[in-house]
Amino acid sequence: MPPSSRSDIPQGTLDLLILRVAALGPIHGYAIAQRLQQVSRDVLQVQQGTLYPALHRLERRGLLAAEWKASDTGRDAKFYRLTSKGRVQLKTETDSWSQLIEAIGLVLLDPAEPK
Amino acid sequence: VITRRRSRRDDALEAELRDHLERLSADYVREGATAAEARRRARLAFGGEAVTEACRDERGGHWVETLGREVRLAVRGLLAARTFTVMALLILMLGIGATTTIYSVVDAVVLRGLPFPHADRLVAISEMDSTQPGNAAPQNFFMWRERQTSFRDIAAVAYGGTILPGDGVNEPERLNGEQVTANFFDVLGVMPLVGAPFSAANEVDGNARVAVISYGLWQRRFGGAPDVVGRRLPNQLGDFRIVGVMPPGFSYPVGARDSSDVWTPLVISASGHVRGHDYSYYLQVIARLRDGVSVTAAQTELSGMADRLRTEAPAWYRPVLVQPLHAFVTGPARRWMWLLLGAVICLLLVACVNLAVLMLVRTSARNHELGIRAALGASRRDLARAVVIEALVLSLAGAGLGIGFAWLGGGVLRAALPADVPRAAAIAVDGRVLAVTMLVALVTGVLFSLAPVWQIACQVMPAIRTRGQGRTSGTEQHRLRGALIVAQVALAAVLVIGAGLFVASFVRVSRIDLGVDTRDVLTVRMRPLVGPWNVRVARRDYPDRLQDVLAQARAISGVEAAALVAGGLPFRGDLRTAAFGVPGRALGPNTEIDLNQVSPDYFRVLRVPLRRGRPFTDADRAGAEPVVILNAAAAGTYFPDGDPIGRMVDFQGPRRVVGVIGNIRHDGPETAWRREGFVPFAQSQMPAATIVLRISRPIGEVLPPLKAAIRGQFPDLALPDIEMLGDYLRSLTAWRRASMLVLGLFGVLGLSMAATGIYGVMAYTVVQRTPEIGVRLAIGASPSAILREVLGRAGRQLTRGLAIGLVAAWGVSQLAARFLFQMTPHDPVVYAGAFLVLLVAGLGAALGPARRASRVDPLIALRLE
Repeated sequence: MPPSSRSDIPQGTLDLLILRVAALGPIHGYAIAQRLQQVSRDVLQVQQGTLYPALHRLERRGLLAAEWKASDTGRDAKFYRLTSKGRVQLKTETDSWSQLIEAIGLVLLDPAEPK
Repeated sequence: VITRRRSRRDDALEAELRDHLERLSADYVREGATAAEARRRARLAFGGEAVTEACRDERGGHWVETLGREVRLAVRGLLAARTFTVMALLILMLGIGATTTIYSVVDAVVLRGLPFPHADRLVAISEMDSTQPGNAAPQNFFMWRERQTSFRDIAAVAYGGTILPGDGVNEPERLNGEQVTANFFDVLGVMPLVGAPFSAANEVDGNARVAVISYGLWQRRFGGAPDVVGRRLPNQLGDFRIVGVMPPGFSYPVGARDSSDVWTPLVISASGHVRGHDYSYYLQVIARLRDGVSVTAAQTELSGMADRLRTEAPAWYRPVLVQPLHAFVTGPARRWMWLLLGAVICLLLVACVNLAVLMLVRTSARNHELGIRAALGASRRDLARAVVIEALVLSLAGAGLGIGFAWLGGGVLRAALPADVPRAAAIAVDGRVLAVTMLVALVTGVLFSLAPVWQIACQVMPAIRTRGQGRTSGTEQHRLRGALIVAQVALAAVLVIGAGLFVASFVRVSRIDLGVDTRDVLTVRMRPLVGPWNVRVARRDYPDRLQDVLAQARAISGVEAAALVAGGLPFRGDLRTAAFGVPGRALGPNTEIDLNQVSPDYFRVLRVPLRRGRPFTDADRAGAEPVVILNAAAAGTYFPDGDPIGRMVDFQGPRRVVGVIGNIRHDGPETAWRREGFVPFAQSQMPAATIVLRISRPIGEVLPPLKAAIRGQFPDLALPDIEMLGDYLRSLTAWRRASMLVLGLFGVLGLSMAATGIYGVMAYTVVQRTPEIGVRLAIGASPSAILREVLGRAGRQLTRGLAIGLVAAWGVSQLAARFLFQMTPHDPVVYAGAFLVLLVAGLGAALGPARRASRVDPLIALRLE
């Protein structure tokens, strides 16, 4: 299905998305980008210029841990995985995100008809 | 190491990004692109070098690396702004150097602990002598020792100096020493390095000729011989046997410049054991508190004993003071030290504010550069950090210079300190002092960068202009600079007033009429060895030998007059008193006046005026009628109704008063007259005397023949006290001179810094306002109006600062009241003088920039637009 439109990822949510993807198991940067794009059915486009700084930021904050491992191409690639601290962070941020979505939904679905 | 680590991290980053790129192009190939095409599209999609940079930023640079870069940048900036840097370093050197110097003194004298184990448990016990803590009487010491429960042990110390005769190799030598109770070493917690202390069994006559000597004496007199214990130490007090050597560094009195070399058993005569008529207060008492007992508890216990004494034996009652030994040792010097420290902190603050002003001006002048840096992406925090780092680089460099300054200044100050400043020997710029200096430098750096940082924080980032200055600058900046100038002037005013008070006090002290003319008076103390073994010979022969020395001294060319004196030479702390009475008159019990034995020319040498009667002559010799000369104070007290000449008094036997002389301030300019009596030297049997000479030639020409004359009569005599009378006097006022010099210097520095600050701000303001002034001049303002306006602005800031400063000084100077002489800390002349000096200096500093402002060429000014 061709994408109807492409969106930039809302500010502040990229970290959450990366944590979610990394929660599935060790994964390298390129695969993270691919995965985000696929799962969101090509709606979410992540720019490399934002992805890698974000990965390094999360690594510095101790939410991700990285190690160099042999990959499918035969070369070493840098694999990121979620730390326990990152798992807690993912949980809290997911919760607050769901709450936010719910709250926004409630407002938008207000039965009072807009004029 | 850092660079290697960084490159390894960069390599990893590059590898990671390359991996991404390759995977991307592989996907493109899979979609059907050629290899070259795929690589091109991948690189295009990727974004290039910016990603690497962004990652590096997120990762955060290694702090040392960032710091190193910032420091290099700061140094380069400072080297470019040479005038600013030189000024700032000069101010820092003076501020930090002065602080380090004073701190090194205060630290050694006051702050350092005593060099004894658990020194905080040591106390000194004094009996109050009117308002001053004084020595204790042995009777009371014994009472305390018997009844007390607060102390582990309690020891007594009395002066016990002596003279070692020459032994062919060594010159005769005067030794400082103490007579101490045997537990003295135990109380202090320091045992001899070699041998052992003496025991309580030695504290009786006949068994007391044992001595513990200092490490220094062991080395210089015995060459550090290992078999020193048991050797003889014949000296003025008798033939002693050495029982121990104290470890190096042991010193009691603690840290005295001339510390002791011998400690001998304290033998208290029978009269000191009973509460009879021997009221001698001569013991220093020290004690070690029992564990868990506080100083206050010990004080309560001893005060209780004193109170009982008040009813049981009132004549023996004196209030008792128990204080930590540290407080006792540092004593009166403490307040003085705090004063110096306060003054130097004030100076340091002036320096800080001054630097803040300079930094502010510099930061404003750097607006252009900062603007460019902001435009290139530096955050406000980066800019503030750059300013702080520049300040820290400056202050650390300043600290380096300051330490050099302190190293020189410390020597000068140490030499200027009075000899009785405790522990002055320990003054040094050592690790402890250096640590404080570094701390001061860091705090200073942070303090004086606060103002510019605040400015950066408040300011909307300046747009890049073609020039460093705009037509106007923010009112915020104006206000901040104004406030700093006011603060600086206020602090400088406090310093200048402090300096004024001390200088005025010193002038007053110097103008005091001492009653003697101290100029060109050489004094040589001749104290031959007298002991039980030769006392009879000494009494018989020595007076004549002394007279013979005097006769020879008179013949020396360059000696105008010479005399002998025993008893009390002025200013040296010598004093002897004797019972005085007037037959048929009740003067009250224990009436004593000072006793001085002098040869006929004594009053001529010292130029003491004769008020009535006659001076002594050679006819007043042994066998002739005993005579006495009184000073005006004694004559006025005991013969208030008329002429004492020819009257008889009881003073060392019946004597006829033959003269009255003027008063002498015996203990220095800041003391009252004493009542003094003078008797002819020839009518007493004194085996020791000081020879005083009025000389008209350099001391170096007079001294060798004089010494030869003395050696001829007393081959064994040690001559440690050869000094001009004026030098003794100067030592009495040394602390005053030192205070005056230090505070005076601080005043001058504070004043110059304030003037520099005003000049800097005014000059900067004028440059900044040049276009505006140009416009005003072009449309008809008169140059004199411009001049007035700039001066007026400076004047307003000055007066505001002065007002605050005078009020602050009014309050702070109370603390210095006790150091002033015959003046209040609110002396109007000093305050008015300080006001004028600061006003003139401040306006003078503003005058240059103001004149420049009034001479602005409108055309040039407008072209700057």
